[in-house]
Amino acid sequence: MTAHTAARHPAARDIEARDIAAPGVRIRDLTVVYKTPSGELPAVRGVDLTLAPGTITGVVGESGSGKSTLALSLLNAVQPPGRIAAGTVEIDGLGDVLTLRGEDLRRARGSQVGYVFQAAQNSLNPLKTIGKQLLDLGRSHDVADLRALVRDAKDLLARMGMDGARVLDSYQHELSGGMRQRVGIMLALALNAKVVVLDEPTTALDMITQATILRIIREVHEERGLTTLVITHDVGAVAEVADSLAVMYGGRVVEHGPVTEVLGDAHHPYTQGLIRAIPRLTGDLSLARALPGRPPTLGTLPTQGCVFRERCERRLEVCETDEPMAVNRDGRTVACHATDRHLTLVKRKEFV
Amino acid sequence: MTHAVPGRPRLGAVARKAGGHVVRGLVMIWVVATISFVIIREIPGNPVLGQYESLIQKGMSPEQAERATAVLYGFLPTGSLWEQYVGYMGSLLHLDLGRSLSTPGVEVTTLIGHAARWTVLPVLAGTLLSFLLGVTMGVYAAIKRSGKLGDMLALSGSLLHGVPVYVIGLLLTAIFATLWPIMPSGGPVDVEFVPGFNAGYIGSLVHHAVLPVVTYTLASYGGWILAMKSNVVAVLGDDFILAAELRGLRRGFVFRYLARNAILPLFTILALSIGMLFGGSIFIEQIFNYPGLGLLLVDSISSRDYALMGGTFLVITVGIVVANIAADLLYTAIDPRVRSGGAA
Repeated sequence: MTAHTAARHPAARDIEARDIAAPGVRIRDLTVVYKTPSGELPAVRGVDLTLAPGTITGVVGESGSGKSTLALSLLNAVQPPGRIAAGTVEIDGLGDVLTLRGEDLRRARGSQVGYVFQAAQNSLNPLKTIGKQLLDLGRSHDVADLRALVRDAKDLLARMGMDGARVLDSYQHELSGGMRQRVGIMLALALNAKVVVLDEPTTALDMITQATILRIIREVHEERGLTTLVITHDVGAVAEVADSLAVMYGGRVVEHGPVTEVLGDAHHPYTQGLIRAIPRLTGDLSLARALPGRPPTLGTLPTQGCVFRERCERRLEVCETDEPMAVNRDGRTVACHATDRHLTLVKRKEFV
Repeated sequence: MTHAVPGRPRLGAVARKAGGHVVRGLVMIWVVATISFVIIREIPGNPVLGQYESLIQKGMSPEQAERATAVLYGFLPTGSLWEQYVGYMGSLLHLDLGRSLSTPGVEVTTLIGHAARWTVLPVLAGTLLSFLLGVTMGVYAAIKRSGKLGDMLALSGSLLHGVPVYVIGLLLTAIFATLWPIMPSGGPVDVEFVPGFNAGYIGSLVHHAVLPVVTYTLASYGGWILAMKSNVVAVLGDDFILAAELRGLRRGFVFRYLARNAILPLFTILALSIGMLFGGSIFIEQIFNYPGLGLLLVDSISSRDYALMGGTFLVITVGIVVANIAADLLYTAIDPRVRSGGAA
């Protein structure tokens, strides 16, 4: 089992890293609400999302779509005034994370589920060297062989193209954004966590560093046999790194499927709009069209009907009253009345 | 970025920094000494000349009067301004601040030395006590800020911060020395004890120091609790605290990350306020009739004892300059960002 592997001998860990299958993650009916002056409002509502073992799932969405809240839910770490109101997050070998409390939850964080912050945010203690923070991490999780932990961390840093000994001896302010991000990845993986959540891993990095970080994520993911969730607003980054893609809007997953299919043949009008909004490197810039309107905030989110209808060009009457159900067809999930009807029509035509 | 050994305090750099500070501090002290030299001559009624003339009026010959004045002030009252200045600076270099007028013949340095004992210890005790108390309560008030206790703590800080120190001192005397007389109302020690290292004398010293120390503690406690509370709240909002929690760090580690980052800016203020204590707390020393530097300064002003006044000013200046240097070096020692020359 993967439980507390960190405490065992490092050699044993390496073998396990290769042999143990990556865990699957199943998010079911997850609802997260935030307390506001006008009552508790849902930032994530009724989300079902399955992360297949050993895959990278990308979650894209505009600011306020609930993607970061979803990411924090995987560690049962939604910060007040937020609260997980309903749902389950099952991780193989760990159970429902949302029922974990106290010490069990603390031990699961870091050792089983790793979390990588955005590079621009200061996720490291400015007053301690990276190495000392690594030791704090090891001591917190009762790692018996701290030397091995440091050795592994150096190897991992070297694997990501850095001088491990020197980085461990540095303070946060002595590292560049790309270096900090790699340190963040190292700290998330140091205890051999098998599920890794990356929140905006390439935001605020320059293009070259972005490409490097994406390549590292992909390679480390494969070498260590991880199940990875990448949260981003950058469709391009997700296209490069992810196996499957979930599109969030107004706290719902509106479309989910293999990344090539979702980007190549988007069904949901929001996904289509999102793809149209990406400027191409070659060709006319005016071809890129921004989505009309603004993304909803917690306060402006419609309480009934489809959350996207205000900005949707294929709006139907039923969108005003009924929330579209997520329909799964051939490994793709879409929550849209128009698409649903369209597909039904196509199918009907085929039968006629 | 170029650094020989990343992350390690580079001793050469620290020594260079300390050297620079000392040179700047000496310049500062020289400037203040020069200003007080000039002011003593420019004060209306020129006290030096006044002394000289009054001695002549008392029947001294001009030469005698000149010598007597020179003894009192540590420099010749006549001669060119430049000669006087050189003389004054020369005696300063020998730590000679002249002689007191109000306590004739006694060296100013001796008077200051005596007074400093009564100031430094009580105020140091009060400062450290209020710092420890305020910082601890500040952390508590920040963590429990949505609860009743946190509100009460913050409120107590705001209220105490707003009450002037002499009001606190008078209230304490009124309560503990008059209404319910368990504490002496003033003075540094009971006269019946023989000064020295005996239980009775030391007990009496401590007994007399309680109210001044408590006054000083209460007076600055409010500032510490408010500053620490806002620092802790700010650090709590920093990402590295959430990141530490998400990495599953033990509460003890997370708390240390929080506390060390929050307390850091306060060390500078602490070092500075320790420097200020050389000025003594004029109000506290007057209320409790405590013969410290503050009282000495007040007395020197009311008796127009200019040599003593100048000397006391100079000592206060030196205290503050030294504290400034200490604060800066302290920051260099404990904050790695400052240490490496502020790359961030």
